[in-house]
Amino acid sequence: MGRMRSCCWGVALVLSLAACGPLADGVEGPAPIAGNSVPPAATAAPLAETPAGERPRIVILGDSLTAGLGLPAAEAYPARLQERIDVAGWPFEIVSAAVSGDTSAGGLRRLAWALEGDVRLLVVALGGNDALRGLPVEQMRDNLAAIVDEAADRRIAVLLAGMEAPPNFGPSYTSSFRNVFRDLAGSRDLTLLPFLLEGVAGVPALNQADGIHPNAAGAERVAAHVWTALEPLLGRLGDERSKTSERVSDRP
Amino acid sequence: MRFIFRMALRELRSSWRRLAFFFVCVAIGVGSIVALRSLIQNVRVALTAEARTLTAGDVYLRGDRPWTEETLAAVRRRLAAQPGGARTDTVDTVTMVRLPDESSVRTKVVELRGVQEAFPFYGQMELRSGRPYDPALLDDWGALVAPDLLAQLDLRVGDPIAIGGAEFTIRDVIDTEPGRQLGAFAFGPRVLVAYDAVEATGLLGLGSRAEYQMLLRIGDEAAIDPLVDGLRADLEEQFVRVGSYRRTENRIERNLGRAENYLSLIGFVVVILGGIGVWSVTRVFVQQRLRSVAVLKCLGATTSRVLAIYVAQVALLGLGGATLGVGFAQAALSAVPASLAEQAAAAAGIAAVSTDLTPSAVVQGIGVGVLVSVLFALVPLLDVRHVKPLLLLRQGQVEPPPGIDWLRVGATAAVGAGLVAVAGWQAASLEVGLYVVVGFVSVAVALHAIGRALVTAVRPLAASRLFALRHAVLNLTRPGNQTRVVLLAVGLGSFFIIGVRAVQTNLLAGFALELREDMPDMFLIDIQQDQAEGVRALLEEAGAGSGGGVPELIPVLRARVTGVQGEETSIEGRRAVRRAGFGREYTVTYRAHLEDNERVVAGRFWDAERSVVPEVSIEENLHEEGIDLGDRVRFDVLGREIEAVVTSVRDVEWDDTRSGGFMFLFRPGTFDEAPHTFIAFLQGPREEEARARLQRDIVARYANVSVIDGLTVIGTVRRVLGYVTRAITVVGGIALLAGVLILVGSVAMTKFQRMYEAAVFKTLGASSRALITMYALEYGVLGTLAGLVGAVGAMGLTWTMSSRLLDVPWQVAPGIAVVGVAVTALLVGVVGVASSTDVLRRKPLATLRAE
Repeated sequence: MGRMRSCCWGVALVLSLAACGPLADGVEGPAPIAGNSVPPAATAAPLAETPAGERPRIVILGDSLTAGLGLPAAEAYPARLQERIDVAGWPFEIVSAAVSGDTSAGGLRRLAWALEGDVRLLVVALGGNDALRGLPVEQMRDNLAAIVDEAADRRIAVLLAGMEAPPNFGPSYTSSFRNVFRDLAGSRDLTLLPFLLEGVAGVPALNQADGIHPNAAGAERVAAHVWTALEPLLGRLGDERSKTSERVSDRP
Repeated sequence: MRFIFRMALRELRSSWRRLAFFFVCVAIGVGSIVALRSLIQNVRVALTAEARTLTAGDVYLRGDRPWTEETLAAVRRRLAAQPGGARTDTVDTVTMVRLPDESSVRTKVVELRGVQEAFPFYGQMELRSGRPYDPALLDDWGALVAPDLLAQLDLRVGDPIAIGGAEFTIRDVIDTEPGRQLGAFAFGPRVLVAYDAVEATGLLGLGSRAEYQMLLRIGDEAAIDPLVDGLRADLEEQFVRVGSYRRTENRIERNLGRAENYLSLIGFVVVILGGIGVWSVTRVFVQQRLRSVAVLKCLGATTSRVLAIYVAQVALLGLGGATLGVGFAQAALSAVPASLAEQAAAAAGIAAVSTDLTPSAVVQGIGVGVLVSVLFALVPLLDVRHVKPLLLLRQGQVEPPPGIDWLRVGATAAVGAGLVAVAGWQAASLEVGLYVVVGFVSVAVALHAIGRALVTAVRPLAASRLFALRHAVLNLTRPGNQTRVVLLAVGLGSFFIIGVRAVQTNLLAGFALELREDMPDMFLIDIQQDQAEGVRALLEEAGAGSGGGVPELIPVLRARVTGVQGEETSIEGRRAVRRAGFGREYTVTYRAHLEDNERVVAGRFWDAERSVVPEVSIEENLHEEGIDLGDRVRFDVLGREIEAVVTSVRDVEWDDTRSGGFMFLFRPGTFDEAPHTFIAFLQGPREEEARARLQRDIVARYANVSVIDGLTVIGTVRRVLGYVTRAITVVGGIALLAGVLILVGSVAMTKFQRMYEAAVFKTLGASSRALITMYALEYGVLGTLAGLVGAVGAMGLTWTMSSRLLDVPWQVAPGIAVVGVAVTALLVGVVGVASSTDVLRRKPLATLRAE
């Protein structure tokens, strides 16, 4: 079991491009189920205690950065945002619609699936893998535009989180990449968080050994950063009754 | 002194004919050692050259950020301590190549590598123009590119390309490139430029994805491992990976390591087999001399003089036989591996295997030959000291007096230590030696015990009415019988031969998987659902397929396990996260059939019908981790929860990569609605042009699809593994042949003790036929038993080697074991009888008189 089991040659070998990040996600690790002591529960397994769809949703459409690759789900930034929302007394449920390794093209295709239920806000946090694979920026622009337009059609508010391409692709690529987010936010009048990993990217103490994915402390920083843009939006999401009368934080 | 030599020579002269046979037996034993050890050393030299070419240096340091001062200081300090040490740096990054013409939109993602002048330390860069590689080609913004870049961007040698803020000129095309990390499949074609030029492009700024590598050349081979350990300790705090050409993470180099261990195994085994051959000859030889010893003692020779005469004689005999063996070895080597050398030369870039004898192997072979013969001559001869000559003349048994004979113990220990030193000398892996010795001792002990048990067990049969059976049993049990000796020689021989064969089968089975013709060499990722049909059409048009058939697109989804039987699973602590490697997100798929590399080990796999209730099949490892058949596993798939029942457990052969492997496989129907992407493992078109065209077409139409071309890498893997396979087959074949010859010799040896009794039987009226039946029974029983013990021991050896040293899945090779036992029994029976035929043909009186 000590040996790295790989899903296949191809994808396994992509792993050695670990420097190139989320692409490596395609690998099957030995991936033990944590704690070998899974007790054989006799009772039927209940689904999540709160039935899905009860609370209004905030969906984050993202990649491995959102999925919290290498972190327990509870430490990824969407879970951290949920804590802040709960503490602030908002009724919203954060749904992490994240697929490691996903590009803007993939995000567009799974949008309908992700938008199921009472979705009030869509956070678009894609582009990282487009950048790491040097995919054409025109294509990313079209994909992201289609995503925000679809959300608009469904009367769902959008928060666009930007991404930066690494400088190794050259200045012309990185600048046009950056402009995609700016132009899109400008033309559609969207709230823009210019760079999702602001203050986290490039700081060794906040990232895992791969230098790409935030660690627990980094994810907390990302949550704080997203919160600055998210919090002002919450009041505008849907009707007022969604705000719970008693704020949890007001309790003694 | 002169007397001793004269006597020794006189004795040799008197029984020249018989000695010739001994001589040949010693020669076969020693020849096997010399030939195989030489070949192994030569193959190892070639493999080392190959491994070095793959790394392009002795030691490497890799990291994904610029070197820190600490790292640089540590390397400088360590390198300064190495006379002749040198360092060269490379940097790799994925970047975009454009045409300098700003209006052109043609771009291509490439793997850019910057190298310094000293690169590569090992191996040859081969250029399409045929000229030798010269770092000056990279001067002044020169670039060397992989052929597929030209095809995909429609460029020619001499054309300019733009990378980052700089413009380069294509100076030549790279055909093969040393130091290409085989682990890494390229996301784009290789572009090679000068190291400084990469920095000048401005691509390596803050946040860049780049891999920095330092290659070190170390003059002293023995200094490499300590250097790696030292650097690892120095740089524990840094994000730096340190390795050497022999200690890397990747697969092909691991395979080279396996081959080395296998060769090391054969090296040890052949020394022991050769030793057994020499031992059995010496034993008989000395026994036959005991009579002469008695005569000499009666005539007043002192014990020390007698000892000196016979030890000198045996040593001379051993030396002569060993020298003849060296001649055998030379003849064998120049004949057999010619094909190996040619093949290697034909495959460019692979060091040819020399077919010369290596001096160390010659010295070792002769050393083993002489030492073994002296050891096994000395011990019985030392017993003679205490024996009254009359007893010997009466053909009584030599019974050593009670008490510990320290001289004997000391002599045995001294010569034994010499043997161990000779056997361990020049061995690549002492660990292998340890396993061999442990195996040797345990099988020897088992054989000894079985010999004893056999003697007791068959004794009642001595009352049998059948003449042949009765006397076969009597032969096995009479005083001074050969039961234990034959059992020991044949048992150990078959143990090693079967063991080596089985290890080889296990090893080559693993290689064969990677050498398959239908190994995928092109990988597509991120194909969206609406693109699947179009991509499939493009692939079919270009003739790309999966496993020799139509292109198969595999649907994949990402799923996180959130619970098993309702229990929330969580990852406890950082260590668990590390172990899990990638968080507990899995790539899952669905299909209605099992792939070739899958086998259901529990439960029942679903049929083609679509499921109503989600069903999942898990990989065996997950089962070991605590998920059981019938468990409900809860997944988070793209933010939705799905609960699936485990209905089967699969064993996946991960090394067989034709269709990948999945920890979780779902029954079709579960993900009908869910968005998912496709990946494909393909065999792309063989022809370079068509290949480049296909990649260009796919990317032009479906820009998000990435095509990963593994042809170069797989080509190298094939080449190296094919070569290793041939080397192993040849070495294994010679080892088998040598082992059988040695066994035949050992068994045939025993005929000298039969002559007398055969003559007596015949005089008393026994027919040749009865005698043959008697011999066949006796040897057949011995052969079967020895073969059985050997086969059982061999399975143990194979298991140990496979799991401890070769890291290949252990397969019981019942075929080899059964054939091994049968052949051993048959061989021993036939040789036993055949070697006795001349005894039977002889006139009994001649034998009786000669004695």
